Amino acid sequence: MNILVCVKQVPDDFAKVHLGENGKPALEGIDKVVNAFDTYAVEMAVRLCENHGGRVVVATIGAEEEVRPSMVQMIAVGANQAYIFAPNTADGDESSVAAGLAELVKKTEETIGESFDLIMCGKESTDEISSQVGAMLAEKLNLSFVSSVIDVKPAEAGLCVKQETEEGSASYEVSCPAVVTVAKPEYDPRYPNLKSKMAARKAVIPYLSDALTPVQPAVRCMNYQEPAKREAGVKIQEKNAVDAVARAIALMADDKVL
Amino acid sequence: MGYIIGEEAKDLLRDVKEFCEKEVKEQIKEYDVSGEWPRPIYEQAQEMQLHMMDVPEEYGGLGLDHITQAALVEQMAWADAGFAVTMNGNGLALKPVLISGNEEQKKKCSEMIVNGGYGAFALTEPDAGCDASNGKTTAVREGDEYVLNGRKCFITNASVADFFVVTAMTDKTKGTKGMSAFLVYKGTPGLSVGNHENKMGVRTSTTSDLVLDEVRIPAENLLGEEGTGFVTAMKTLDLARIWCAVIGVGVAKRCIDEAAAYARQRVQFGAPIGKNQAIQFKMADMEIRTEASRQLIVHALTLADKGLPFSKESAEAKCFAGDSVMQTSIDAVQILGGYGYSREYPVEKLMRDAKIFQIFEGTNEIQRMVVGRSVIGKI
Repeated sequence: MNILVCVKQVPDDFAKVHLGENGKPALEGIDKVVNAFDTYAVEMAVRLCENHGGRVVVATIGAEEEVRPSMVQMIAVGANQAYIFAPNTADGDESSVAAGLAELVKKTEETIGESFDLIMCGKESTDEISSQVGAMLAEKLNLSFVSSVIDVKPAEAGLCVKQETEEGSASYEVSCPAVVTVAKPEYDPRYPNLKSKMAARKAVIPYLSDALTPVQPAVRCMNYQEPAKREAGVKIQEKNAVDAVARAIALMADDKVL
Repeated sequence: MGYIIGEEAKDLLRDVKEFCEKEVKEQIKEYDVSGEWPRPIYEQAQEMQLHMMDVPEEYGGLGLDHITQAALVEQMAWADAGFAVTMNGNGLALKPVLISGNEEQKKKCSEMIVNGGYGAFALTEPDAGCDASNGKTTAVREGDEYVLNGRKCFITNASVADFFVVTAMTDKTKGTKGMSAFLVYKGTPGLSVGNHENKMGVRTSTTSDLVLDEVRIPAENLLGEEGTGFVTAMKTLDLARIWCAVIGVGVAKRCIDEAAAYARQRVQFGAPIGKNQAIQFKMADMEIRTEASRQLIVHALTLADKGLPFSKESAEAKCFAGDSVMQTSIDAVQILGGYGYSREYPVEKLMRDAKIFQIFEGTNEIQRMVVGRSVIGKI
């Protein structure tokens, strides 16, 4: 099975991001990591190929030097090949990113001379959290689509995928080729071992500088606002519990919480 | 970080740091309390190949240079000293094999480690600690076999080891020149693990007695020639002492990080205590000692890499780093005050862990003897 995982590099989601003087998120000095949901997708793809055979290709859109470390990391944890595509749009909206990815899928298939049976994306990226790109990619490629997948197995008709739902999970059979977006499975992504990391650093990762057609985004972000800062709270300083509870109830009653 | 390392090493260090922060640092706390050997954590570490950093590339190892290795081991020790001691125990066991073993022995022991096994170096005995030449364990040649009898103590990884390097007297009349080193494999009849030490610190590293009762091993398990065991052991310790210093520095760095974080957030008299010169000076001394320890390590490793004598320098690094981490851990507890004395905060564990670095791989008194005699020369 040939699997393509679309990977996005994002600012470390453990870091606190503030707006810079230009009104945009100030990302200087913040580590870049692979989007967590994309790491789940790569792990799921690698496990599928380890158990049933196949090949995992990862691809991303970005500036070569900036995103190469993330691609190296994905090879170190089991991807067989990686490709980097130069961006097709600046400040792209979800639709233009999906258009870029659809073109990326085709160009990668042309490059390797084989078509993909399965295309995987994280269900969302931890920076923008729009959860739209995977579905839009399926639409643009005219392929079947399942979102929030937490398990995937080969099936007679193609693949059996388990989808995480509000209530539990649902299983679907989908024909290939298909697009799925991946949620957090039961397992964690593996750490790269030292040898695989050293080997991955030497991997040839092609950079396709003009493979994607420039796209003008239809939706533009006008400005960002940081969440309103929490106002200072009220300290309840009564000396005993009975008085403290009474004071808390009174405060909540005043604010019509109760 | 005082180690000057290349981009590849920095990349590896980032991965090891992430692993240590996410999978070791917090998880290890309950094992420190219970004294249970944290097998799941070690299995994960083996998947990352942190257990085989000393295995040469030609035997399936990583081929890391010593300075890179030091940076990685320091990071492991930062998360937990016992974790680093356990992983490093393999290197301690493999070193005598690499020094004196034949090709087959080197290959076999290296493969055992690469495949997830453990090794243990069994030198110390109840009456032969610093005075290693006073060992009572004997090895008697009988035809194509040696028969080993004796008791070893304080053996790191003994309870989990697949192979042991055991020193034993083949000729008591010759003193140190009557000591030989042997490879003994797990499961050999007569070989058993005795008392497990309930230690003050490095509690996630297992330390046990090793009992040899009429243990028959093939004569080809002899490492090198008969009578070379003491030299093999001393050469092993020369390098092992540097790694001991590296682990101590990792503990010291954690002390500095914990104390600095506390000094930034603990407010007394209306200001963070880190604004007080009393705290700043203490932090400065902690950092100076730790960086000086690193540089002694780098110097000793550089000499070792160049094939130059480094016994004195390894003793200096071990002694200075051991004393430094002890004092630095005391300072960290002092900076955290009452909280530092509480198990709620991590520094009391660091202080318990730190003490061993003045004791194992040759006490710091022995290190001073090595350095002192080297300075004075033959009298």
